[in-house]
Amino acid sequence: MDFGLSDSQLLLRRSIRELLERTVPIERVRRHLADSSGDRGLRLELGDQGITGLMVAEEHDGSGLGLLDATVAAQELGRLVTPISFHSSCAVAPLLIQGAGDEAQRRRWLPEIAAGRAVVTAALDLDVSPFDVSDREPATVADADLADAIVIHTEGDLLLVEAGDPGLVIEPLQTVDETRRVAAVRWIGGPTSRATRLASSPNVPALVARAEQAAQILLSADLLGACQRALGFAVDYARERRQFGRVIGSFQAVKHLCAETAAALEPLQSLLWYAAFAWDQRSAEAAQLAPLLKAHAAEVGSTAVTNTTQVMGGIGFTHECDMHLWFKRVGYDRQFYGAPQTLRAQAASLLFESAAAPAAG
Amino acid sequence: MELEIGPRYDPLRQEVRDFLADQGVHALPAAVGARADRDAGTRWQRTLVEHGYVGRTIPRNYGGFGAAEDPLETLVIEQELSRARVSTGMQNQGIGMLVPTLLHYGSEEQKQRWIGPTIRGETIWCQGYSEPESGSDLASLRTRARRDGDDYVINGQKIWTSSARESDMMFALVRTEPDAKKHSGISYLLLEVKTPGIDVRPLMTMTGDATFNEVFFTDARVPVTNLVGAPGQGWEIGTYLLRHERDMLGRPQQSETMLASCVEVLRDTGKIADPLFRDRLISLQARVLAMKYHGLRLLTDRLKERDSGLSRLVVKLNGCQLNYDICALAIDALGERGVLRRGSPRVRDGGAWQIQYMYSLGLIIGGGTAQIQKNIIGEVGLGLPREPKSATG
Repeated sequence: MDFGLSDSQLLLRRSIRELLERTVPIERVRRHLADSSGDRGLRLELGDQGITGLMVAEEHDGSGLGLLDATVAAQELGRLVTPISFHSSCAVAPLLIQGAGDEAQRRRWLPEIAAGRAVVTAALDLDVSPFDVSDREPATVADADLADAIVIHTEGDLLLVEAGDPGLVIEPLQTVDETRRVAAVRWIGGPTSRATRLASSPNVPALVARAEQAAQILLSADLLGACQRALGFAVDYARERRQFGRVIGSFQAVKHLCAETAAALEPLQSLLWYAAFAWDQRSAEAAQLAPLLKAHAAEVGSTAVTNTTQVMGGIGFTHECDMHLWFKRVGYDRQFYGAPQTLRAQAASLLFESAAAPAAG
Repeated sequence: MELEIGPRYDPLRQEVRDFLADQGVHALPAAVGARADRDAGTRWQRTLVEHGYVGRTIPRNYGGFGAAEDPLETLVIEQELSRARVSTGMQNQGIGMLVPTLLHYGSEEQKQRWIGPTIRGETIWCQGYSEPESGSDLASLRTRARRDGDDYVINGQKIWTSSARESDMMFALVRTEPDAKKHSGISYLLLEVKTPGIDVRPLMTMTGDATFNEVFFTDARVPVTNLVGAPGQGWEIGTYLLRHERDMLGRPQQSETMLASCVEVLRDTGKIADPLFRDRLISLQARVLAMKYHGLRLLTDRLKERDSGLSRLVVKLNGCQLNYDICALAIDALGERGVLRRGSPRVRDGGAWQIQYMYSLGLIIGGGTAQIQKNIIGEVGLGLPREPKSATG
């Protein structure tokens, strides 16, 4: 019996935290917000340190680590609001290419992803709009406007589409959480498209489901890291800020906001570790646990950053302090790969109508 | 991450299975409480102690089994007894709270005298801490124990005393040094409930049960040899115990069982198909699983003799609120029938949902209120400063 992180995972956490504190301090994050040219330089630095290639197989120059290891990284990236969409470019995309790509496709992209030289993202369950692109709501996809390639899941097929493909319509969008980029993606396809199929997976729906679960678990990790840092920030402030002749953290009204937040975050950490472990074990439970976790994380997270912002008082509402960065980071994590109500409905179907549930690998 | 208990524990597991086969499982009591059939319960308890399935780590000369501390052995034994649906032994304040305290603070004579009968279920204990004027502010307690020769003479009142009428003995916090400062004037005393001058009166709770009592002391005489530790050391000894109580409250296994029953209610009422009920149910499911795996995390800390810090402080607050919310969902699913009480025709599960609903609220308050828990999380867990003391202290 040994529940939690192993010694090597604790070491990984420490080294990533030290690396991020050194190379991506909050000043750099703030500069990034002002400059929308993308995160290529940062991605290369993270690639150098093995972070972008955590889940890429060793034969393709990655570390070949599991999802629990990746949650350690995601939690640290969330903690320091590092400007990168780790869940899509370092997990979903490489998992799909690794799982369904042929040898040439894998050789072409996986070492590039691992090194941080290429940005590959994924758009799952995309509608095809061959005749009229204007009547469909496009998908909102992380990094799509700067990606070198996008893995598209459409009509049961997985396609690898490179940037500039005429079958793809991309429209950059602006988000509240400026630490991650998103763009609208439409897939038109057509005879001029040079897209290739990722065709070597025997079971595409199961592979896509696994990748989706991984994204849900990693977004939960990112959210938890952001919330933990926000709480630490608020607690530090509550220990310093004086009103009515006392530090405000000595008032129960403030103290209890902090305590409630901590009380919700601690069990979330335990659930997160277990969900990632279940995914790594290929346990059937992972199919229910991932949406369940993500929904729970979203609810806990929204309340957490609401509380921590309130502890800061008026200054927390301004750009004078960094609380808004964590607030918005959590807002992004909540919306992607399923809002809580949607995920709970999905988990309920899996739990209570298991006969009707789709097979998960 | 390793969730298997490991082959090292297979021999113990087999031993418990063989034991259960020898006993003939069907003859064994399913649950043993203070008010259940005391003879059968005590017999089963004694058997468990003899085999080392209760009081396993308590030294042999105090009536235990003398095994080395190993939470996984305890877990394996509990798993096997639960699988056979037999009682894992009595859960009471004597076993859960007094015994660990005596092991730590008791004199040799006290350990010899009390630990054995307590773990065998022959001596039942209640806790005399709270007073009408001393709830969350326990250290302000006023029940007075005045030294008179070889006795203490006790006057005052305790309240919220669970099972006082079924108990043989009470461990109590009393004020022996009235001139000392608040926390340092308190002592820890063991007393017989049947002592002349002690009057136990049932206190009816909102559940309709008299699970609590008020206990009145009028010149009750207790020998000074029943003092644990030194005079004035009671606060230290009593708060050592409270840590155990908080570990006992809000256990995740109970929430898991409760949620499974709640799912049955939703199925039987057809509410399982209602998206709004499902949404609430799944929210609760996530919280139950979070607490379940949190329990494994804390267990791992114990195995590695690591301080769990903040993560341990949040169990009672979360667990008690969770049970309350599960009951509320079951009651809502029952609609009008949700208000039926025990004994009524057509009442679901014998009225257990309303009783548990109210009882859970009692536990949100008892054993350190939710608000006190938040103070502890804030101050001990997060390092926030204490509330400044009021002038009257």
